[in-house]
Amino acid sequence: MQNKNISSVLKSVSKPGRYIGGEFNSVIKDKESIKCRFAFCFPDTYEIGMSNLGVRILYDVINKDEDVWCERVYAPWTDMKEKMEEYSIPLSAVESGDPLSSFDLVAFSLQYEMCYTTTLAMLKLAGFPIWAKDRAEDCPIIIGGGPCVYNSEPVAEFFDLINIGEGEEVLLEICHLYNKMNDEGTYTRSAFLREASHIEGVYIPSLYDVSYNDDGTIKEYKPLYDDVPTKIRKRIVEDMDKAPYPEKLVMPYIETVHDRIVLEIYRGCIRGCRFCQAGMVYRPIREKSVETLCKQAKCLYDNTGYDEISLISLSISDYSKLPELTDSLLKWTDEAHVSLSLPSLRIDSFSEELMKKVSSVRTGGITFAPEAGTQRLRDVINKNVSEEDLMRSVGIAFRGGKSNVKLYFMNGLPTETDEDIVGIADLAKKVVDQYFALPKPERPKGLGVTVSVSCFVPKPFTPFQWEKQDTFEELIRKQELLKTSITDRRIRYAYHDAKVSFIEAVLARGDRRLAPVIAHLAEQGIMLDAWDEFFNYDAWIDAFKKCGVDPAFYTSRGFGLDEVLPWDLIDIGVTKAYLRRERDKAYEGKTTPSCAEHCSGCGANKLGGKNRWCK
Amino acid sequence: MVQVNPTKLFLRFRFKKQGSLQYISHLDLVRTMHKVIVRAKLPLWYTEGFNPKPKMIFAAPLSIGTESVCEFMDIRMKEYIDPAEAMARINANMTGEMQITEAYYPDTKFTDLKWMSYRITIHTDGINEELVSDINDALSAPVVEVQKKNSDKTTDIRPLIKSADAVLSGNRIAINTVLSSDPSAFLNPEYVIKALRDKCGILSSPDLTSEYYDIMRLNAYCEDMTEFK
Repeated sequence: MQNKNISSVLKSVSKPGRYIGGEFNSVIKDKESIKCRFAFCFPDTYEIGMSNLGVRILYDVINKDEDVWCERVYAPWTDMKEKMEEYSIPLSAVESGDPLSSFDLVAFSLQYEMCYTTTLAMLKLAGFPIWAKDRAEDCPIIIGGGPCVYNSEPVAEFFDLINIGEGEEVLLEICHLYNKMNDEGTYTRSAFLREASHIEGVYIPSLYDVSYNDDGTIKEYKPLYDDVPTKIRKRIVEDMDKAPYPEKLVMPYIETVHDRIVLEIYRGCIRGCRFCQAGMVYRPIREKSVETLCKQAKCLYDNTGYDEISLISLSISDYSKLPELTDSLLKWTDEAHVSLSLPSLRIDSFSEELMKKVSSVRTGGITFAPEAGTQRLRDVINKNVSEEDLMRSVGIAFRGGKSNVKLYFMNGLPTETDEDIVGIADLAKKVVDQYFALPKPERPKGLGVTVSVSCFVPKPFTPFQWEKQDTFEELIRKQELLKTSITDRRIRYAYHDAKVSFIEAVLARGDRRLAPVIAHLAEQGIMLDAWDEFFNYDAWIDAFKKCGVDPAFYTSRGFGLDEVLPWDLIDIGVTKAYLRRERDKAYEGKTTPSCAEHCSGCGANKLGGKNRWCK
Repeated sequence: MVQVNPTKLFLRFRFKKQGSLQYISHLDLVRTMHKVIVRAKLPLWYTEGFNPKPKMIFAAPLSIGTESVCEFMDIRMKEYIDPAEAMARINANMTGEMQITEAYYPDTKFTDLKWMSYRITIHTDGINEELVSDINDALSAPVVEVQKKNSDKTTDIRPLIKSADAVLSGNRIAINTVLSSDPSAFLNPEYVIKALRDKCGILSSPDLTSEYYDIMRLNAYCEDMTEFK
């Protein structure tokens, strides 16, 4: 909902439907009858942000509280941003159309590092100072959350408050504290933040002092006051069956990237791939029951009318009751013309039966992720899948009519040699051979094999958190080597821009000294870095130089095993000792069984959680 | 109401699409309606084949930036449903900016729809009677040439304008006009704006917030100018 006099502005920009709100199922409350206005900001476009499950859940959770009204805010596309600056149109929420300055709490969901400049651009469009220390008493409290904040240090000083872990409970506790202090008349910015620091899962960056050693490594993080915790433990929702899940979804008018029902099956992962941050930070595993899931799916279908339900989790086939769940859903979905999709299938659990159940007529393709080209390297990263698994799976896929197979790999993994790179090409060729090994009537027409390769980015809270990232030149060399190793015309090779992976690595493992770099970029109007067309590598390199930051310090240097890490302040449950053990096993080429087979003592069970695997 | 063909049971809905929904494209409208009619639990007829879909037909797609109180869609049902009941169920599943205003089993086809009326409201600097008569003169001239979209060529839109009448209305100019909606000669009202920009110099300010216009589609007619139903 926008003011009348910007109708010409809306008519002049691309996809004006991004900015209008007014969607069915969006929540409108009476401003007079609430105590706290909460803006949930997504630092990317509407189409991306509307698809985010975390935002969908938290929008519902916060709006269930009758004292709080949660609205959504998205980043404008560049054409709209220019118009907003030209006509002094402040960034506003889509529900009320009110500018962000009329809100009490303004939260950002940080889903990927490349959204940091967009976050600052949004703060600027809202008219807020980008540095927390510069904000006046009447400025809303700026909150950060989402997967990036397990190491929020590069952006910590832009936020007043950071929510570590799952937000369902803690965001409401923050709202309640805010309301209570306002009711009692005790609210001031500093008193509120100090009090909030006592809530588990809340990190107040301004309450910590960071000191550095002469070699540039971190010396220590020191709380400024005795009552401020020395370590911040992430929050989890204990019982996924009792956890709130939206019964309705805000229905976008324009097409969004995941325009369907998304059913979260469980949280956590039993696998322990050593490069994977999600597999560590979302532990412990907590499943929902089949009854809960069936109820949620039916309810969401009735309230949305979507014709697709996507069952999502980090590795859907690890759900202990998957056949039971799919059978129960299929009892009504077929008749209702609703299809099921499973986006995260493991190679070792793919079966003909499963494929038939989810057979989506819309896609002729299927994706598998061997991640590495040789068994040796797959053991190093603890992927625990074999070439036989892959051949069996693609065979099933081909026979089931899928002619397009996409294979995901990474290059630059620890201990990787040229043999591993060539192994990717060999594996893809074997997939082609597998296709032609099938009798002609059994295989679908139009074979296409895509090899999609990303560059390894060492992430905090993984066994590889200390690893060196390959230099930019080395990553390019490996990409070229693979290109020349793929000789079959039927194999399409796609690879990520190594420049983006390099910047991601800097930001993923960065510390507070990176904040001026990001601020400098924002001052130049840079945003939407996650979009290829706006990513500006030279601007980043220039900003590093101007701010006196050596990016290699965070990438190809590698981190010392005894070094204080920027994210040591955070406790995700999984211990540093476990990550270290896993790192050592990686170098020995030893695998670790999944949590379903054997408990490896990662430490996440201390967080509690009603679940299936941990004791 | 008479059923044209009882084996193909189409229910017709007239609806409005107003306010911020003028910024929703026709394609997005179709996608939205698909979900609305599923939520409304209507007895929908589905296409046969691999990817069954409900059958929806829309008349005269509306372009972005035009509001309407006169949109039509036909939806095929697998069995009879009371039109009032269907209308109520759909309306409960849409917001106030888009609502069904009439529902009935039709005895016409969308090809019978030949003309549509619009109200164009222009908020512009320097409004006076002289400008209003300039506009009336421009639109009633024997030839009204405008440049075609993505082309250097011009085209005469005058035969597609049945009538056009500009009046001063407070600090705005309101133009009531009837334009061709024949699928083979459909005239988008944006072309009328375009012609007036060229001929009367309106809406030329670079400041998009000081000069602007709204378009509202009002009604639909058959060839003989009886109301299309």
